[in-house]
Amino acid sequence: MVGMSYAAVPLYRLYCQATGMGGTTGAGHGSEQIESMEPVRDRVIRVTFNADVHSSIQWNFKPQQSEIYVVPGETALAFYKAKNPTDKPIVGISTYNVIPFEAGQYFNKIQCFCFEEQWLNPQEEVDMPVFFYIDPEFVEDPKMAKVDLITLSYTFFEAKEGQKLPLPGYQ
Amino acid sequence: MSTAMNFSSKSFKPRPPDKGAFPLDHFGECSAFKERFMQCLRDSGYESSACRQRAMAYLECRMERQLMANEPLEKLGFKDLIDEKSEAKPEKL
Repeated sequence: MVGMSYAAVPLYRLYCQATGMGGTTGAGHGSEQIESMEPVRDRVIRVTFNADVHSSIQWNFKPQQSEIYVVPGETALAFYKAKNPTDKPIVGISTYNVIPFEAGQYFNKIQCFCFEEQWLNPQEEVDMPVFFYIDPEFVEDPKMAKVDLITLSYTFFEAKEGQKLPLPGYQ
Repeated sequence: MSTAMNFSSKSFKPRPPDKGAFPLDHFGECSAFKERFMQCLRDSGYESSACRQRAMAYLECRMERQLMANEPLEKLGFKDLIDEKSEAKPEKL
């Protein structure tokens, strides 16, 4: 039985391979693309930010800006903030969602705070940055022609051994 | 929430961030840079393009304090700001 719970090691670990030192194997998402991409100034996109916490975690978690206007091909920074209002440390882990779903493939996070455990001490409050860009190929996709609003939504869960993280879109 | 009807459209698959997770800034070492950036956003009507200098300064703060892997700023999309900077500087001996 114990083996089962370790086998169900949270799915997010599958996603935790990039540890800040070299990036993913995602096609076209490398530093070369970032360095060479050009902003598409005539497609302004409003990115709004949503923050949720699962009932299992007692953090206060919210975005520090409700929206930001970006253009594809230009890197952008945004912030969330988390506070542990309790008297014991809490370890959280987050996943995210992009709406509309079809825009998600163009939403590239260079660095953020998701998919890895984050430890907050009692009463501690921290800034949580997200550094991202919208792939310029977004503007070539006819299905995206009417999309001028993208919502980024993070949800924090309490990190527990053996817990299965409900990742959206995963069966 | 998702039904089985969407055969033709992709379902959303969250991808890990390219460069992994930011370590938490537990001591608020870069809070001042964050505040300057946020102030710029507020002043500009939340226009990201207007605040890239301060975004870059925030990320530089992190890199200087081991809160982010060191990366040339060009590879973080700030090539134009770097080029501007070096053009403004006189030639060093």
